Amino acid sequence: MSLQNIIIKLQEFWSQNGCYIASGYDTEVGAGTMAPDTFFRVLGKKPWKVAFWQPSRRPGDGRYAENPNRVQKHNQFQVILKPTPDNGQTLFLNSLNHLGIDIRSHDIKFDEDNWASPSIGAWGVGWQIMCDGLEISQFTYFQQAGGIELNPNSLEITYGLERLAIFLDKRKSIYNLKWGHDISYSELRTEEEKQFSIYNFEIANIDFLRNIFDQYKNEAKKLIESNLYLPAYDYLLKCSHTFNILDARKAISTAERTTLIKTMRDLSSMIAKKYIKDTGQKNE
Amino acid sequence: MSDFLFELGIEEVPASEIKNIVLQLKDNFKLKLDENLVKFKSIETSATNRRFMIYISEISEKADDKDEQILGPSKKISIDENGQPTIALKKFMEFNNIELSDVIEIETKKGLYLCTNKVTEGLKTNDILHKIIPEILGKLTFSKTMLWNESRVPFVRPIKNILCLLNNRLVKLKFSSIESSKFIDGHITLSESSIEINSFKDYIEQLGKNFVIVKEKGREEKIINEITEIENEFDVNVKIDDKMLNYYIYNNEYPVVFKGNFNKKYLKLPHEIISTFMIKEKKLLPVYNKNNKLLNTFVGVSNIPDENRFVSDGNEKVIHATFEDAKFFWDNDKKDNFINLRENLKKVNFQKDLGNFFDKTERLHYLVDFLLKETNNNHMCENIKQASYLCKNDLVTRMVREFPSLQGIMGGLYLKEMNSEEDIWKSVYWHYEPKGFTDKKLKHFGAGILSIADKIDNITGFISKGIKVSSSKDPYGIRRDANSIIKVIIDFKMNFDLYELIELAAEKYTKNEEDKKKLVIKLQKLFLSRIEIIFRDLLNFRYDVVNSIINTHDILFIYKSFLKATDVSKMVETDSIDILIILHKRLKNIIKGFNAFFISEDLLMGDEEKILFEIYRESKAEIEKLAINNNYIQACSKIIEMKPVIDNYFEKVLVMAEDNKIKENRIALLQCLNELLSKIADFSLIIESN
Repeated sequence: MSLQNIIIKLQEFWSQNGCYIASGYDTEVGAGTMAPDTFFRVLGKKPWKVAFWQPSRRPGDGRYAENPNRVQKHNQFQVILKPTPDNGQTLFLNSLNHLGIDIRSHDIKFDEDNWASPSIGAWGVGWQIMCDGLEISQFTYFQQAGGIELNPNSLEITYGLERLAIFLDKRKSIYNLKWGHDISYSELRTEEEKQFSIYNFEIANIDFLRNIFDQYKNEAKKLIESNLYLPAYDYLLKCSHTFNILDARKAISTAERTTLIKTMRDLSSMIAKKYIKDTGQKNE
Repeated sequence: MSDFLFELGIEEVPASEIKNIVLQLKDNFKLKLDENLVKFKSIETSATNRRFMIYISEISEKADDKDEQILGPSKKISIDENGQPTIALKKFMEFNNIELSDVIEIETKKGLYLCTNKVTEGLKTNDILHKIIPEILGKLTFSKTMLWNESRVPFVRPIKNILCLLNNRLVKLKFSSIESSKFIDGHITLSESSIEINSFKDYIEQLGKNFVIVKEKGREEKIINEITEIENEFDVNVKIDDKMLNYYIYNNEYPVVFKGNFNKKYLKLPHEIISTFMIKEKKLLPVYNKNNKLLNTFVGVSNIPDENRFVSDGNEKVIHATFEDAKFFWDNDKKDNFINLRENLKKVNFQKDLGNFFDKTERLHYLVDFLLKETNNNHMCENIKQASYLCKNDLVTRMVREFPSLQGIMGGLYLKEMNSEEDIWKSVYWHYEPKGFTDKKLKHFGAGILSIADKIDNITGFISKGIKVSSSKDPYGIRRDANSIIKVIIDFKMNFDLYELIELAAEKYTKNEEDKKKLVIKLQKLFLSRIEIIFRDLLNFRYDVVNSIINTHDILFIYKSFLKATDVSKMVETDSIDILIILHKRLKNIIKGFNAFFISEDLLMGDEEKILFEIYRESKAEIEKLAINNNYIQACSKIIEMKPVIDNYFEKVLVMAEDNKIKENRIALLQCLNELLSKIADFSLIIESN
């Protein structure tokens, strides 16, 4: 099955299960969790069901197109169900079924994995879902975002699309995958992975990045003061991506890491509070 | 008699939490049933990551009746002068709904009182369970909890179902918005959901049919047997430790062992890397041939039968990608000049406010220098000092950033790859070991030296920042590090004064003498308490033997103290120990409260005193020599040999002479004797054998 078919199938499945099919966010994010359709909507009381395809950047994961599984830009399919349904696991297994995976002949395991995304003050409890030893999804009960305890909680399911495709297509490497009818993953992505790996690991200008990190941060602060929490959040996302490149460049010491993450977490907390206040949704 | 079956169906609980939860459930069920006077024969438990089962056999259907004596007012205030009940007594009867004929007298410590015997009928077990189960579940503690539904009850993972059958009938109850029912789930993918259960027998049968081996032992045996089959069939060894076995047992309801292979080219990677990536990253086991050579084979445990080889094929692909990752880290790290990475340590903080790792290596260099000189190992000096500079470089490699547990090991491997001297790379490789007193002995002396330096520097740094160790909390591993230091010193028979090392380490973390002194005292206290605990609880020396040596002046010559404790332990098995105990007690009694005096030979009066002094002088030299050579048993014998002379002295000589100078001189002689004994131990603290 091609990657685009997987996306279509997942959209179909989650649409049938009541989700609004959104588009991925257009600023660099490390994961679908960071997209505003997740970050803001898990806050407050209002129910929310969304599914979207989200390209995600992890500069440190680049491998110059030489690793069969790892890339600095991968594709996620993000699902948020708020409040958490009672049958989340069954829904998830049904979605695999919908993709044509015979769940009775594969070793599907819910393996403890609690993610935390400190730069947006978010964490959850859950599992990585392993299928014959390959991590294909994350399944998480969202506990906090922007440092605020969530009530009700949301269920977040994140499919790693490349991983799923490898699995479904019985390939050894993502570069052997088909994206669409006549177009391969390799054709679309190899050069991009090479160039970005070189940039992220070797060329990225550290002073420049430090400088723009500060500028983004200051801009976000100003915007928060003006109650423009949505654009403020965009600048927080830009801080986060800049931080990730600096990290891939090994330019961040342990002490500095703590400080920078705290800077971002504080921003996320101010933004979350503004959002809740503005939408009149109490969280307790 | 009835039986009771309980199952808490739950979404996958982390393997590491399960045993702890089972224990709590068992204890709390027992406690609550006892408290409520419900009799039962036994409590059986089983758990997987998706269910906790409790089975209680022969449980009574109602609680025992409760006989209670209810104490009323004192007789004095209950009956008035006319022999009639007072208000106090009337109120008592009214409150307990009893007649005057139900009231009896009782003698108490406070005098005569009135009371009544009341029998409360036991509640139905069904009603008790209805009440106590939510309490038991609510009281469970976990290392991490989560919220998931509107009940806002924190729990380890979302609860799916609560099966609760007393004598095969449903006990109705509710916890975290989940109502009890007769339905459970089977295997996550191999069974249909919602299986109705009508009895314990039914439960076991239904689970069996639905691919759940509910007994831990059953799953363990299946795993071990299938691994053994593979070992026999292919003539190989599969290495599995308890942690991984536990992981498999609790991560699969229907474990099936599978085997796969990977491309031989990855065997060129250092085997430490291969096994770390396999075990930690992919939960797969490395396989060795009979000569202990690593093979390009792995073994894993699936939660379903792998009839189509989907599981092993899938894992083969995954491990290929994992080794590609390992190779990426290894190859790229090797491109950097490992020696030069030390400069990068300036950017890596050791701990907040404790400087960076570059500074730390400078301190290590200084401490290692001291340790090597003290232990007379000048020949390896240059290499170990070099190792102390390089031992933290791997912290800035990709591999260690990704797998912190490979720290030290990777440094060693990168250095070995550069053909560095064996003493250098081996010291770096093992310097994080041992991890506690019960760990294995280090394989390399240089690593031992570096390990001590690294750990004393950790401890000193943390304590200088005011971090405290309590009995339950030790987040910085201070206690473990101290224990490891003691272990290395004893293992390698290192003869040096830890006090001096502490002073050197403290010097680097303080700005003035006063602060240094305070820090040294804290460190000294820490080590004394660690020595005491290790000697007593881990080395099993008698507590009085430990007491007798813990306050000797050279206690921080730890290896020496260990030998002392060993010898004194042998001595306490003999009759002659009593001689030493009595003598030491007597000496301490007499000299108690006096300042230290100097002995003057001119003031020695009479033969008994002169002879004792002569013998003391001769023995002192011998005993000190024996003590230096750690021959404490002979040193004790020497003292015992002096017994007749000492006895004679005490018999004939009055220590508290009228002439002050003579008295002080006699005290001085006894002080000398006390000091001599104390070089070995404070025998006065040993418990006499009879």
